[in-house]
Amino acid sequence: MADSAAEARIDQILVARALLGDDRRAFEQLVRRNQGMVRAQLRRLLQGDEAAADDLAQETFLLAWRKLGQFRSEARFSTWLHRIAYGCFLQACRTKSWAARHAQDDEMEHLPTPVQAMDLRLDLARAMRHLSTAEQTVLLHCAQLGLSHEEAAYVLAMPLGTVKTHATRGKAKLKTWLAAWHDAAGEERIP
Amino acid sequence: MNSIHDDDIDALLRQSFDGPIADDGFCDRVMQQLSRRRRPSAWPLAAGVLVGAAMCSLSLFTSPLWRAAWHGWLVGEWSNSSIIMLSIMAGMSLLALAWTLAEADDH
Repeated sequence: MADSAAEARIDQILVARALLGDDRRAFEQLVRRNQGMVRAQLRRLLQGDEAAADDLAQETFLLAWRKLGQFRSEARFSTWLHRIAYGCFLQACRTKSWAARHAQDDEMEHLPTPVQAMDLRLDLARAMRHLSTAEQTVLLHCAQLGLSHEEAAYVLAMPLGTVKTHATRGKAKLKTWLAAWHDAAGEERIP
Repeated sequence: MNSIHDDDIDALLRQSFDGPIADDGFCDRVMQQLSRRRRPSAWPLAAGVLVGAAMCSLSLFTSPLWRAAWHGWLVGEWSNSSIIMLSIMAGMSLLALAWTLAEADDH
């Protein structure tokens, strides 16, 4: 927590430097410090499409450079970047066909029970794909990118209550779907 | 039946996340694309202030209130009109001060 606060302060100082003297080196530091998580966020949102994710990440940082004067420190700089990145993603979805990938949302309430205990990570990835888009997005930002519910609400421009509901529902579905794996693992341990 | 807790799901989700992506030249590509940011020019604000002040003076010069207030100040007496004019000026100054402080706080 203290580390995260210190990181946020360093980002704020770099933003002030970048704004005051049009300091490109300060902005370069900001890009270096934040590109990893922004690209990871976009890769997840684009379901592993690395090239498209990197294009959107580049667009995100160019937009951040142009709008740096509008950064009001109401959120951490990294959270502000995630918000811009999510906006770029939504814009891209409107113009391209990525949105179609979620066409099967809510089709499936139950995954077939695995006969054997398979790799849990694969099962989790599979289960995640069957969550609704909103549940996937909220769990990505809260559980994987490590944002608080309030920060996720800011990034996704959603009411806080909606974020909490999607997180709870998403986890409940994952628990149900993965229970079979858990039971199978438990039975294997019991002779 | 063994139950899975929220913490288990959180841990699983964290484990399934590969973490930040390595730079691999991404930062350099972004910096090459960076254009020079245009500084917001100060002339619209200055022009607005000048035009506003000129319009205000023009409208006040024809007003009997302004003449009465000016006359009161010249002879050193506190007439109603001079008090009204002073109150308006003080109010405008306070508004400008509050606006400046709010803008400074934002930056």
